[in-house]
Amino acid sequence: MDVFIQLLINGILLGSMYAIISVGLTLIFGIVRVVNFAHGEFLMVGMYGAYLLAAKFGLHPYVSAIPIVLLLFAFGALVQRFIIQPLLSAEEHIQIFATVGLSTALMNLALMIFGADLYSVPPSVVQHSINIGGFTLVIGQIVMFVCALALVAGLHLFMQSTPLGRAIRATAQNRNAALLMGVRVDRIYVIAFGLGAACVGLASALVMPLYPVTPTIGTYFVLTAFVVVVLGGMRSMYGAFFGAMIIGIVDSLSGYYIAPDLKEVVYFVIFILILIFKPTGLFGLGRGTE
Amino acid sequence: MVGRNSDIKLAISHLSGNLVICKVSGKVAPERPLMSSAYGALLEEMMRKIARAALAAAMVLTAAPLAGLAPAAAQQSIKFGALYPFSGGLALLGDESFRGLEIAVEERNAAGGINGKTITLIKGDAVDPNQAVGEARRLTSVDNVSAIFGTYSSSLSLAATQVAELAGVPYFELGAVSDPITERGFKNVFRTNATAKDFSVRMVDSIPDAIAPALGKKPEELKIGIIYEDSLYGQTMSGYQKSRAAEKKLNVVEALAYSAKSVDLTPVILRLKSAGVDVVLQTSYQNDTVLFFRQMKDQGFKPKAVIGAGGGYSLRDTMAAVGPENMEGALDVDFTQYRTNPKAAPGIEQFVTKYKAKYGTDPRSGHSLANYMGAKVFFDAIAASKDLTADNIRAQVLKVDLPVGSTATGWGAKFSEQGQNTRALPFLMQWQGGELVTVFPADAAVAKMKVGVGTN
Repeated sequence: MDVFIQLLINGILLGSMYAIISVGLTLIFGIVRVVNFAHGEFLMVGMYGAYLLAAKFGLHPYVSAIPIVLLLFAFGALVQRFIIQPLLSAEEHIQIFATVGLSTALMNLALMIFGADLYSVPPSVVQHSINIGGFTLVIGQIVMFVCALALVAGLHLFMQSTPLGRAIRATAQNRNAALLMGVRVDRIYVIAFGLGAACVGLASALVMPLYPVTPTIGTYFVLTAFVVVVLGGMRSMYGAFFGAMIIGIVDSLSGYYIAPDLKEVVYFVIFILILIFKPTGLFGLGRGTE
Repeated sequence: MVGRNSDIKLAISHLSGNLVICKVSGKVAPERPLMSSAYGALLEEMMRKIARAALAAAMVLTAAPLAGLAPAAAQQSIKFGALYPFSGGLALLGDESFRGLEIAVEERNAAGGINGKTITLIKGDAVDPNQAVGEARRLTSVDNVSAIFGTYSSSLSLAATQVAELAGVPYFELGAVSDPITERGFKNVFRTNATAKDFSVRMVDSIPDAIAPALGKKPEELKIGIIYEDSLYGQTMSGYQKSRAAEKKLNVVEALAYSAKSVDLTPVILRLKSAGVDVVLQTSYQNDTVLFFRQMKDQGFKPKAVIGAGGGYSLRDTMAAVGPENMEGALDVDFTQYRTNPKAAPGIEQFVTKYKAKYGTDPRSGHSLANYMGAKVFFDAIAASKDLTADNIRAQVLKVDLPVGSTATGWGAKFSEQGQNTRALPFLMQWQGGELVTVFPADAAVAKMKVGVGTN
């Protein structure tokens, strides 16, 4: 029983990491309607940023979260403006190729600049674990859990109660109608892509103390992030959050009770079942909205 | 997967270059029964004759116009190919391996070369198996080298050795570890370094030989957990480990595979913890090694010993990412490293001195040393041969008989019919105070083995 609860705790904490990485992907998909295959590499860029700020200026990744979020916002906005925007009217697979190309380019760029060695930030208190009633929780993961909740709540407030948020929602719901209402759709897309990238920037600052960075670190996370996004219903942030929790818990339990190398099989089976029986995802808005 | 950066990264991060090996080994092994049949042997023989005839014809054709122009100096030199990955993802350790060969050549030339002939190295850049084949062809047919030295990576070696074998040119492998390289019945392929199986056997044997005595327990009382990343590298190594553990009647309570790309190893750790595992054998790359050590600490898992192999465990980056205090006590089986007792590895200090003088840095890994040792052994064998024909060189290589502890790596040299050195026993090393020091066997040790892992 103790092991079960520990596994559950580990699963929830792991889920919060998947959540914080997936929220940005959901935003980009939900609003710009582009599947960003370079999402993992955005994470990698953010992590190298956090590493450099730690190595050159001695900043803790949590402090460098602020410049990195801004940097990734700018980076995401530029990608949208100069890579995705010219392709918006092209077919979907062209956009997919563009993001896949971007992903490969970024990975190789990192390989060129940093080499294949792994880099980590100096150890700090967030790597330690605390013991509550016999169960261990890593401090960095608790922070991630809190930040994931705060991020979803913050985005919710932003989307519901600001004019810009309303414009973003309008664009997501119907691009042409929004255009007719005077919303500058192109600009909204740039902002939304930047916002999605900024979310993953926050994620990278939070992940950095716990995982060393390498050029391929993004590929470790991104497949799970895609599963989470689809599971959550493509465009729903809350869906992504709960989807991430489910994947985290399934990951943890099946790794222990079935076999560590079969855990992916388990959650991909769940993934396929959901696609068969509820193609719009757990929190999808119904057929036709995906 | 092949050619993707993730592979490159993994391959780079893995000192012994095992990753690539086993992919190929899986393909090569099934061909053996065919080749060993009478028909296969006949076919093989015919192929070899045809290849030799073609080669001879090519040599005559290319050599004829030049015969009158050949400078006298050419007679005083002997050409060897140096086939390594000099560019691409494997370049760092490929180049490091080459440096060992280069130092061995300079040393030999300074001492008069091979029977008065100066050795000239001709480089071949083997980035991938295709290019390894191309470069091996060039070295054997255009440059007409007397022998090829290489290769660092097993997949490159498996490909290039086939070319050399067909051309009847001796191929000296100094660094690739995949077992099938010397299991294919080739006549002209020889290897000085230890194989993946040797590594696995040393990992398992260190339990009854070193760990159990240090803990004051009987080996069969210890509960053993074998964990491995689930690509062919991990599967091959763990396969050897499981069968060796069964031979030694050890109590293996868990054998778990996991993906090297996993971002969470807590299920693995909790399984080991629940099973009360005392000794963990891990076959891993770099990221998963770091993750395992970090999460082992988080989850309060305190095994009495953890043993790993190769790059994931030997690289200084791994130790830095895990933290010296958490890596403290981790055991590692790999090529001989530099913190080894020079009494058991005569010449190791002189090698480091020469290396520093030539390249201006400390050796970047044990690969250069392993290549240096291997090259020296083969130079002696070639010098003892009355001419440079493959058959005579083979006869001399099989006559080599160096006891363990007589070379710079501490290995001996005695070759099987298959061309594999049977006296290349890898040492057991341990991280102590942020340094990787040799702790077993006793005569090679520079420090006493500690028990326990990390600050646990």
